[in-house]
Amino acid sequence: MTSGSGIFFDGNSSARQEVTVELAPADLVLRSREGQLLAQWPYAELDQVHSPDQVLRLVRGRESLARLEIRDPVFAAAIDDKATAVDRTGAVQRRMSMKVAALVILAVASIGSMALFALPALATRLTPLLPFWVERKLGQAVDAQLRASLGSDVAGTPLECGEAVGESAGRAALTALIARLEAETALPMPLRAGVLRRKEPNAIALPGGQIYVFEGLIAKAQTPDELAGVIAHELGHVVRRDGVKGLLETAGLSFLFGILFGDFVGGGAIVVAASSVLQSSYSRETEAGADAYAVALMNRVGGKAEALGALLSRIDALHGAGPAILRDHPQTAQRVAAIRSLARPGPGSPLLDGTQWASLKNICAGH
Amino acid sequence: MNVREAVASATVYPAPALGKVRFLGKDAPYWRLLIRGAFLLICTLGIYRFWLATDIRRFLWGNTEIAGDHLEYTGTALELLVGFLIAIAILLPINILFFLAALDLGLIGELSGVIAFILLALLGQFAIYRARRYRLSRTVYRGVRFYQTGSAWAYAFYALMWWAAIALTLGLAYPWAQKSLERFKMRRTYYGDLAGYFEGSALALFLRGLPLWLLVIGPLLGGIAAAAHAIDWPALTEALNEGGSGLAARVEASNPGFARAIIFFLGAAVWSALAAAVLYPAFQAMVLRWWSAGLRFGDVTVTSRLRTGQIYRAYFRFLLYGILFAIAFSLVGFAMLGVGDLLKGKFPSAEAEELITIGVAVVGYMIFALGYSTIYQATVKLALWRRGMEAAEISGIAALDRVKAAGRPTSAVGEGLADALHLGGI
Repeated sequence: MTSGSGIFFDGNSSARQEVTVELAPADLVLRSREGQLLAQWPYAELDQVHSPDQVLRLVRGRESLARLEIRDPVFAAAIDDKATAVDRTGAVQRRMSMKVAALVILAVASIGSMALFALPALATRLTPLLPFWVERKLGQAVDAQLRASLGSDVAGTPLECGEAVGESAGRAALTALIARLEAETALPMPLRAGVLRRKEPNAIALPGGQIYVFEGLIAKAQTPDELAGVIAHELGHVVRRDGVKGLLETAGLSFLFGILFGDFVGGGAIVVAASSVLQSSYSRETEAGADAYAVALMNRVGGKAEALGALLSRIDALHGAGPAILRDHPQTAQRVAAIRSLARPGPGSPLLDGTQWASLKNICAGH
Repeated sequence: MNVREAVASATVYPAPALGKVRFLGKDAPYWRLLIRGAFLLICTLGIYRFWLATDIRRFLWGNTEIAGDHLEYTGTALELLVGFLIAIAILLPINILFFLAALDLGLIGELSGVIAFILLALLGQFAIYRARRYRLSRTVYRGVRFYQTGSAWAYAFYALMWWAAIALTLGLAYPWAQKSLERFKMRRTYYGDLAGYFEGSALALFLRGLPLWLLVIGPLLGGIAAAAHAIDWPALTEALNEGGSGLAARVEASNPGFARAIIFFLGAAVWSALAAAVLYPAFQAMVLRWWSAGLRFGDVTVTSRLRTGQIYRAYFRFLLYGILFAIAFSLVGFAMLGVGDLLKGKFPSAEAEELITIGVAVVGYMIFALGYSTIYQATVKLALWRRGMEAAEISGIAALDRVKAAGRPTSAVGEGLADALHLGGI
């Protein structure tokens, strides 16, 4: 078969021209019904573009909009035999899309491993570059949100302990305890510490050097060194600027998973699951770092560093634990073991005397 | 394109139907394309969407035959990916700015939420207009491309104003908004040197839509009015302000009809929701008919014979396939639970077991959601395209024979913005 018929659009106007197509040795020769030469397309420059199944749509180069359509399947096969770029089996197309799928899966895997390893490293590097006034502002915003969401456990009392007349001795004891710890640290910014009237055994460090110990934690502590261990842990967060680091990690994750990935129906689930698993893994690392810092600080001030481990075990015995990979702190047993391995053995000297400790235990009793 | 298959089955192209629009796509290849795409979406956490969107458009455009010739979609997935990456680069600094502004404790911090909302709404409409421009400039018919001009910011501003008007009038402004925005778009739309415009009448749409509006919104308004009338407001306010315990008893004492008023209101709300669900296909058919009958390109005019029943049939098919899918999914789910019980405690560590359990649950959820989305695409979306196209009758078709080429291909940043703002089109 050396010639057939086709429909030709020249790319300059929408005129539909019935043409005779001749299979010359080196090119396709298109002539109008009257025999006028319309175009000569070399086989080497022929390409095929998307079309319905029964139509072969040919172009010469990808830029031009000129199109030749062949609707006779036998003649289409004859053209395919001459032009290498025209692929009637669809094998090139299939190989191409396999390659695309494989490349994209590879890219996703590499971005995923970046989220696991590179993102926390990047956050650690970027954190020292953030000016302190930004961290202070962040801290104020977080503080305002925290106070609004926590309120107080007991209606009609202020959220913060140590401000009433009967609580000033406790406040003084807390200040003395923190002063002993602070003397052995180089804090990057002024520290502000407070006690919140909340029953949960917890303590938190906000960006900008604000730390809070909850009333419930002071109640659970049996010695001043146990409480000092927790405060040293929070000081570790302040020194290492973990609050800002955490925010940077969250922002990076929500960028990666919220924008790049997951924009399809049902994709929200993978975003939430992957971000929370990753975030917990970052956080466990951060907490282990703060524990190590706390033990080193307690060793320096001559306190009993192991006391932190004792307090953690006591709290853990009372409260159950959630799934390990979603927990933001390492398993308590692991933490206690790590603390023990770093702590200097020996009894140590208590960081507060009996009277001071008794008033500190009563820092929230003024209301 | 698979010529060998075509040769083997010796299908010869059906005789072209002049003056008509036909859709030649078969269901089976479209299902194959969508299911394969859904699988790759899961594997690539959604990145494959650029390739899937391109495949879908090629299928829909390529199988649409107007007066004997086909539309051709010339866009590529790579263009969409690049447009999306540029859009992210534009949106990232904006997001950081709003994050910092929200930290401010003063007026800026309080206003930043509102400003961000308005800006993102504007940007969304901007993106929708630009995405249309991209799609048009990648649409070729008889070797001549479509294109769109006009300021996307102006469109975004009008669109936002109209959507506010629709909200304030509880939907009654919808026909005028549609007409005005469609005119804005069509007057800036060209096929080569053939200018488009739009001639739909807002009043006609309003009159046809009014019964639907009365059936859906009317009872809701009635319920609210009746409830408001039945409640003795001063007494209720007094009862609420009194303080102390026994609030429910006090409210009941001050307002004997309170419970009945609330129940009446809830009944009206349920009715409205049900009516909206049942009547939505009719609304869609009505708007589609009105829209295609208003399209003009030079001397080319369109009328639509779309029947409402055809759209209902598509939704029924969606429901049927949806139920079958739900049954199959629960059977597999139960089997998986059984397998999980057998494997319990056989993993190397508790962490591994948790990770696998969460992974299976997440993938299961994604399969479920994507399954429904695929069924919706293959039934309702495809039917809207197919029926909408096939119902169109074109007159003045001779004008399409002598159009001069014009317009340039434009960038896909608008599509990328729409995607990043979760406003994806087709």
